[in-house]
Amino acid sequence: MQKKYSRNFDQIQEIVKDTEHFFAANNIDDSLRMKVDLSLEELFVNMVNYNTETDQNILVEMRAIDKGIEISLTDFDVERFDPTLAPDVDIDAPLSARSPGGLGLYLVLKMADSINYQYYDRKSKITFTNRVSAE
Amino acid sequence: MFEIGFKESGEVAVSGRLDAAQAARAQEFLDSLDGRCVIDMTELEYVSSAGLGVLLRTHKRLMAGKEGLELVNVNKHIADIFRYSGFDKLFAITTL
Repeated sequence: MQKKYSRNFDQIQEIVKDTEHFFAANNIDDSLRMKVDLSLEELFVNMVNYNTETDQNILVEMRAIDKGIEISLTDFDVERFDPTLAPDVDIDAPLSARSPGGLGLYLVLKMADSINYQYYDRKSKITFTNRVSAE
Repeated sequence: MFEIGFKESGEVAVSGRLDAAQAARAQEFLDSLDGRCVIDMTELEYVSSAGLGVLLRTHKRLMAGKEGLELVNVNKHIADIFRYSGFDKLFAITTL
């Protein structure tokens, strides 16, 4: 599946619906849905929020793999931003030291079984996988 | 689909998906609350970091008045996200 989405949070609902259809059509284990939905949303939102110099749509590609799914998001005409280098979050910090924000990419790195970043021709592409066997 | 409102008991009930598209609406509702607040999450299916931010912001505001949020009837998937986020150490949480 390949589909482009406009840079708008309202597209999240459409992405969720398309993911649901892809899971059903490819018999992918539903136990992966929460992790996949979370990583997809966090990466999409990150591109919308931080790659503000472009108005090009974001490409999402889904591929069924052995016991799971591989998903790529590609942002076009943007500067390099590698989400895999996102700073760690101190989840043991007291409430006074915690602030909203910063958790999204941290959760992606925790939830995905593998994650890969590529930057070429001003395209920023991030690919992650989730498999049942790695649960 | 995300809904937030009061139950007859006075607790807040949330349902559906609390994602980045719904966070502002949830924040607006929770900003109107004072004192200790219980949120029933029985029908909440999903929460992303945007939703976690709403909960954390509200909890910090209420804790400044020595009150805070209590999250009850949290399902296993969402409890996992709370644990990954360290929220299990910040909030009073009861799981389903």
